[in-house]
Amino acid sequence: MSDALVIEAVRKTITVDCVVEEAFRIFTTDAISWWPLDSHSIHGDNVKQIVFEEHEGGEIYELTADGKKGHWASILAWEPPNRLVLAWNILERDTNSTEVEVRFRADGDTTRVDLEHRGWEDVAEEREAKRDNYDTGWDHVLGFYERRLG
Amino acid sequence: MDALGDPTRRQVFELLRRGPRSVGELAAELPVSRPAVSQHLRVLEDAGLVTHRRQGTRHLYAIESEGVVVLRAWVDEFWDEALARFKAAAETKGEAP
Repeated sequence: MSDALVIEAVRKTITVDCVVEEAFRIFTTDAISWWPLDSHSIHGDNVKQIVFEEHEGGEIYELTADGKKGHWASILAWEPPNRLVLAWNILERDTNSTEVEVRFRADGDTTRVDLEHRGWEDVAEEREAKRDNYDTGWDHVLGFYERRLG
Repeated sequence: MDALGDPTRRQVFELLRRGPRSVGELAAELPVSRPAVSQHLRVLEDAGLVTHRRQGTRHLYAIESEGVVVLRAWVDEFWDEALARFKAAAETKGEAP
């Protein structure tokens, strides 16, 4: 793979004014308090709950008031309160997923949060391999994108 | 077919990321012939990574706007928004007695 295309990971760092345990808890099991559901969920404003199965191999999914479930991601590493790694199928469930790693580090009473979203090369390679099947998935994602731009 | 694995095609792709170019312009910046550049462009285009449009008598090639690069840019912007919301939530809830 030394010849493979490299697409830089998305990297973000923020400092949050709360202790590391709280930062991890709010990021994960209390994601409903901050996740932009209206634009970035399957059922939009009907979502009433974001469920984290709190273990390696667990699933993250949304639940609507009437019990409809929507898969978001799988948990590859669950190490509270310091580290979380997710497999995020950004296009469709049965395609290559990207990886999101989030690290939480205590810095006194504040917390440094480093997020890395990587694995774009796999998506690109797969898109190349299965190009003809992708129209629906890409229309879906680009629909989100255009709504955000609009 | 391995559109992204070939080093010359990767160079072509990298050049196009800086902006649209014609076959001649690409060939001038690479140690390969124009026919070779055309061949690489065809593979990239077949893979959905590159598109071209005609401008007067010449064809300009560019990164496919619906490709992975756009998806990544969308995600980059998404995390800025999401993390700002997370920070606000954490600092409100985290400080509550």
